[in-house]
Amino acid sequence: MKKLMIMLLLITAVGCAKKYTTPAETTAPPEGPVREEVMREEVLPERGETIMEERVTEKVEAPGRETVVESAVPSEEQVKSIFKDVLFDYDKYEIRPDAREGLSTIAAYLGKNKGINIVVEGHCDERGTNEYNLALGEKRAKSAKNYLSSLGVSPDRMIVITFGEEKPVCTDQSESCWQQNRRAHFLIVKSRFTQ
Amino acid sequence: MRIRERRAKEKEMGGNNGPSYFILVFILCAVLCVRSFAEAKIYIDITSPGIRQLPVSLHMPRTPTAREIERIIKSDLEFTGLFSFVDPDIRGAELIADIDVDATGGLKVILSIKDLIENKEVLKKRYTSNSIRPLAHSIANDIYFIATGKKGIFRSKLSYLVSTYAGRKELRLMDWDGHTSVSISSRGLTSSHSWTQNGKYLLYAEERERRWKIYILDIMKFKEMVLFSSAGLNLVGGTSPDDLISFSSSKDGSSEIYVIDIYGKGFKKLTMALGIDVSPVFSPDGKKIAFVSDRGGTPQIYTMDANGMGIRRLTFEGSYNTSPAWSPDGKLISYVGRYNGKNQIFMVKSDGADVRQLTFSGNNENPSFSPDGLFLAYDSDREGKKGIYIMRLHMEGDQRITPREINASSPKWSPYLK
Repeated sequence: MKKLMIMLLLITAVGCAKKYTTPAETTAPPEGPVREEVMREEVLPERGETIMEERVTEKVEAPGRETVVESAVPSEEQVKSIFKDVLFDYDKYEIRPDAREGLSTIAAYLGKNKGINIVVEGHCDERGTNEYNLALGEKRAKSAKNYLSSLGVSPDRMIVITFGEEKPVCTDQSESCWQQNRRAHFLIVKSRFTQ
Repeated sequence: MRIRERRAKEKEMGGNNGPSYFILVFILCAVLCVRSFAEAKIYIDITSPGIRQLPVSLHMPRTPTAREIERIIKSDLEFTGLFSFVDPDIRGAELIADIDVDATGGLKVILSIKDLIENKEVLKKRYTSNSIRPLAHSIANDIYFIATGKKGIFRSKLSYLVSTYAGRKELRLMDWDGHTSVSISSRGLTSSHSWTQNGKYLLYAEERERRWKIYILDIMKFKEMVLFSSAGLNLVGGTSPDDLISFSSSKDGSSEIYVIDIYGKGFKKLTMALGIDVSPVFSPDGKKIAFVSDRGGTPQIYTMDANGMGIRRLTFEGSYNTSPAWSPDGKLISYVGRYNGKNQIFMVKSDGADVRQLTFSGNNENPSFSPDGLFLAYDSDREGKKGIYIMRLHMEGDQRITPREINASSPKWSPYLK
């Protein structure tokens, strides 16, 4: 009986070991090498082109592990009416006077609901160039974050991310559409950021 | 006699075909006449102002494989604008390329280029490969070299971005003519990217799970690693001949210019300004960096020494100039300027003189020079969806190289590749 148990244990151990040694997925190279040689003396074979394709196996790092803190869940309507987009002028990242009221509403809500944290996304219209717009979008998100922070919201409760012109809400070629895209947008996360 | 002995010996040793291969080449060399490399004649001088087209004939077997090789060679050479093709049965060509294709069990090709005026062979070369495209591009490179005395770019590649779905962009790699597209990274939103100058690594900035990191990919091994990561926005700029990488990071609050080496060491901060500093690209000699800054109120292009000193504004026309790219000889900088409500490609001497507008319809962005400086790749929406175009700089003409149904942008031309 004892012997049988040991054998069973060994078998399962071997089985387990096998499971963990599955090789990474690979695919065949799309192009073969080209060997070239000039037909004259002292010919050296030249190195050709081979592209090996392999699934990249880097671990995805969580963007600041989020630890859940209990709090009241705001309804979708509440979120929509309180967390309105902050709009910006063309190629600018200063908070406009007409955006102050909306930011005050957000700050007041966050003051009352301490368990809620936010992601501030910065966006741009499509007219700029991609890289510069990423930097501009970040400036816009940071302007909104700094304004909220000046109204008493702890900076630890806000993270900023820029998407530049890459995630428009409107795709027409008109000023009203571009204005909607030049925005700081808020997402609610019911968790704490530990970065 | 001695050869026969050695061959017999090798057979005994069991299939080490290295030395016998050299002997075979030696025999062929002894039998066939070979170009004398000392006195290389140049048929087209691409540096002269009035470039003429060189009449060339291709003589190939009439098999499907040979036809395909012929098509690729012709399309490569034709786009340079430097060649005209003459039917091999008709007189008038100055060079004839005799291309013998053996497609039984892998591709074996023998190229013989003859000068028909002096009636002598100027190059004889053998190629073995298992894929048609790189082989045909290599042959085009050799014909181009014989004709111009300069290296051809037909084996070079472009990295570029494809919009997959909302808010995602995939990094891809393709041949210079738009064929053989391969996916490099498709896990998030990819933005700026750059080649190291030996063509071995690709660097790219990508947003995954709300984090902008700079990644480095070993192209041969297809292995990716994180090169730089911090809070905020990190965007790769360019590379220097000694493998330094210029990039922008907002890790300290505002976006500034930094350098780091490909091992992630030698981290150095180069700029200190309150506004936006982005898109830093090294000059080809690695001594200067061009970048974009809004320190003057609007985004403009500036240059500085590679140590961050000697900052100088380069562009003064218009209120939006971004995306600088340095020509391989270091004399020119191409960039994107906003003009009459649209983005256009411009060119300026690296001292700020002689501004020229190169594109006129649609929005045209993200210029990148070919390694020989004769072509400029860029993206344009002039025909609807964004696509990648290649423009000739030595004469009029451009062509779209990506399919119309794909939204492709941000080409970055590789260095010369083998």
